[in-house]
Amino acid sequence: MSLCDAEKTFILHGVKENFRVDGRDREGYRPIELETNIVQHAFGSARLRLANTDVLVAVKLEIDVPFPERPFEGKLEFFVDCSANATPDFEGRGGETLAAELANILTSAYRSPQTFNLKKLCILKGRKCWKICVDILILECGGNLFDAVSLAVKAALHNSQIPLIKSINIDGDNIELNVSDSVFDCEKLDVANAPVMVTVCKIGDQCIVDPSLAEEQCSVGSVVVAISQEYFSTVTSIGKGSLHPRTMCNSLELGQKVGIRLNKAFMETLHNIQPDEDVGFLK
Amino acid sequence: MPIDHKRINGPEESVPYELFARLSGITSEKTFEETQSANIRTDGRKFDEQRKIFLKNGVVSQAKGSAYMEMGQTKVMVSVFDPREIPNRSDYSLKGEIYCEFKFAPFSCPKRRLHQQDNEEKQYSSIMKKALESTVCLHELPNFQVDIYALVLHNDGSALSAAINAAGVALAEAGVPIYDIVASVTVGVQQGINFLDPTLSEEQMCQTQLTTEKFPNPNHAVVIISKLPMQQQLCQFHQTGYMSLDQLKSALELLTKTCETIVPLVQKCLLSLVTNSIKP
Amino acid sequence: MSRKKELLSKVGLRLDGRRADELRRIRCKLGVFTQPDGSAYIEQGLTKVLAAVYGPHQVRSKQKAQHDTCIINTQFSMAVFSTNERKKRPRGDRKSTELSMHLQQALLAVIKTELYPWSQIDVYVEVLHADGGIYPACVNAATLAIIDAGIPIKEYVCACTASLGNNDVPMLDVSHQEEVIGGPTLTVAALPMSGKIVLMEMSQRFHLDHLPKVLDKALEGCKDIKAILDEAVKKHIQDIGSSTGWANTTS
Repeated sequence: MSLCDAEKTFILHGVKENFRVDGRDREGYRPIELETNIVQHAFGSARLRLANTDVLVAVKLEIDVPFPERPFEGKLEFFVDCSANATPDFEGRGGETLAAELANILTSAYRSPQTFNLKKLCILKGRKCWKICVDILILECGGNLFDAVSLAVKAALHNSQIPLIKSINIDGDNIELNVSDSVFDCEKLDVANAPVMVTVCKIGDQCIVDPSLAEEQCSVGSVVVAISQEYFSTVTSIGKGSLHPRTMCNSLELGQKVGIRLNKAFMETLHNIQPDEDVGFLK
Repeated sequence: MPIDHKRINGPEESVPYELFARLSGITSEKTFEETQSANIRTDGRKFDEQRKIFLKNGVVSQAKGSAYMEMGQTKVMVSVFDPREIPNRSDYSLKGEIYCEFKFAPFSCPKRRLHQQDNEEKQYSSIMKKALESTVCLHELPNFQVDIYALVLHNDGSALSAAINAAGVALAEAGVPIYDIVASVTVGVQQGINFLDPTLSEEQMCQTQLTTEKFPNPNHAVVIISKLPMQQQLCQFHQTGYMSLDQLKSALELLTKTCETIVPLVQKCLLSLVTNSIKP
Repeated sequence: MSRKKELLSKVGLRLDGRRADELRRIRCKLGVFTQPDGSAYIEQGLTKVLAAVYGPHQVRSKQKAQHDTCIINTQFSMAVFSTNERKKRPRGDRKSTELSMHLQQALLAVIKTELYPWSQIDVYVEVLHADGGIYPACVNAATLAIIDAGIPIKEYVCACTASLGNNDVPMLDVSHQEEVIGGPTLTVAALPMSGKIVLMEMSQRFHLDHLPKVLDKALEGCKDIKAILDEAVKKHIQDIGSSTGWANTTS
């Protein structure tokens, strides 16, 4: 999307007066729609729509061997696929840089054991563990991709159910795992500390949250902040441009404030979600 | 991971022997306890003291500009090549581009690295690119791409910082138009203590969560920033771990202060470059 | 080991409880996304497919531009989580390239390409859940998306699969389970109103004598699918046109 100078000036003035192009204030989010349990045969899934940014996340589980230097921990992997539905530029391998950036930020955000406890995924020390593969599909890109992806991942992990292992037979080197047959015999993951990302963009002299596509083009510097229960799980500067250290501090404060508010509202929604008849994309 | 057919790799199940040595009791926890009780780091530094830096340019004759930097035991070599037309692109672009490649040599880390870039190296490449993009005058290189290659010969912590610093010097030597020199520093945080310019073991300690009964402070992180000192601009910021806002602010303050100390070294290096080229 | 299941039981019911000539439930929606020029979502049984159309717009690489027709560029992609076993790569493998080409072939037959010289139409299809009959679902979704984009077409192109059960009875709309067991699958993409066949593909084998009746069954299925898609399109036009009132003229 290319903007002319007049459009950029218009956006700049709007941000200065705390009245953006779509009527929001600097800290306002666009409407978010969340639906879980969309992909039936995945262990957990969620679809999140933030205005016209559309992200679909599915969680699959595999049994794997843990890393030798961390025998008590399971694995958590992120895979991002930018579908060509979002923009023709993503055709073939066009979306790979963006996909790699998203996957890397998510990996940094979930690295600390405080945010996600990998020890719960261990089945047999050093021999077997659960590997959670989180697959993210970007269907439409309307700005603020990082926030949408992080929220969708959190919802999908909240929705996931890990089957319980009833028994383990160890016969020399052969290990047989007996997974419970019942569909209801499973445990949920604890996502209270899972990080929520907030993109803070500096436009002119002010910082805004949840930029639309046009606003992203006008920003002189952006920071993505991942907040987990008031703590910063990862902070990365993205896009082209540099920031003064004081602006950086202001952005971090704003990001934290908004992140805590967003997380609270999100967790409330997640707890109140009713399993409805599947609507998916038909609504 | 793509299979490497050109080299004879060891069996896939092989594991570095240090893992078994670790079982004899040296853990991150112990290292931190010792450090905390002695109030001095394992290599004798204070908490906010940097390691000795060695910086030399013109080390790679084939490259247009190159630099070799040592921060303590960490050794990094960066080379910058002539701008060339952006490959695989048919349309004309008004602004130039940077291509950064960051690689750990297979022998540089305690665990052998593969010859292909893995995800961590790709992430470091993009962080390095972000840091250098703000300083190169891309509008003066329309349709051109500047290649920057960083190779870590010995990783003992802060490798990415060293690479970014060396890249700044290499860019200056290559004559690529830049706004300002780049200064980059890393800090590790554990239990509220800022470990400036951490060694590899300190970095690993700052990435782990120590048991919470003995050490109640949940802050642990590694923060790396790059700054354009004259412009007072942070061109790159990356933190990973778990930190509170106050801890992050104090780390940021320490880092911005430390970036100023690198400036005289870089200036001395560039000055010697100019005087040597003038002398007959 | 389970004993070999029959495709058609003695009572005439298939593995999922359908009769031999019953289609799976089809639900579809046009205009799912705002960014693409046209988009559609279709569910055939458990198979879910999203299609997006961009265009007509300027050709990206000047060498490919043609002076008298429009280029149709298709991409078929399956989400990593769409199959039971997690796929490593969403696209780029041989099967995806082949299906992209087949999709392009089907669409070239109906899109009025002579109206847009020097242009390109991009059709992107994403499979969210694969449960048999993914190619027909893609073709149907692409048709709907093209209609939503407002690109003129000669008529609907619909696709359907058919199989042969108990060596005798032709069955319509094969699911993944029936494909895997080993039943032969005939995929047909056709123009239902004029009765022309655009693409025909088959896996496994059966005797040539059975071909006419299986083919007829598949073409019948295409006609039925066309009726369903047509209804969906009319409903969509009513929904979006009701604000301006022009939907009331179509009765």
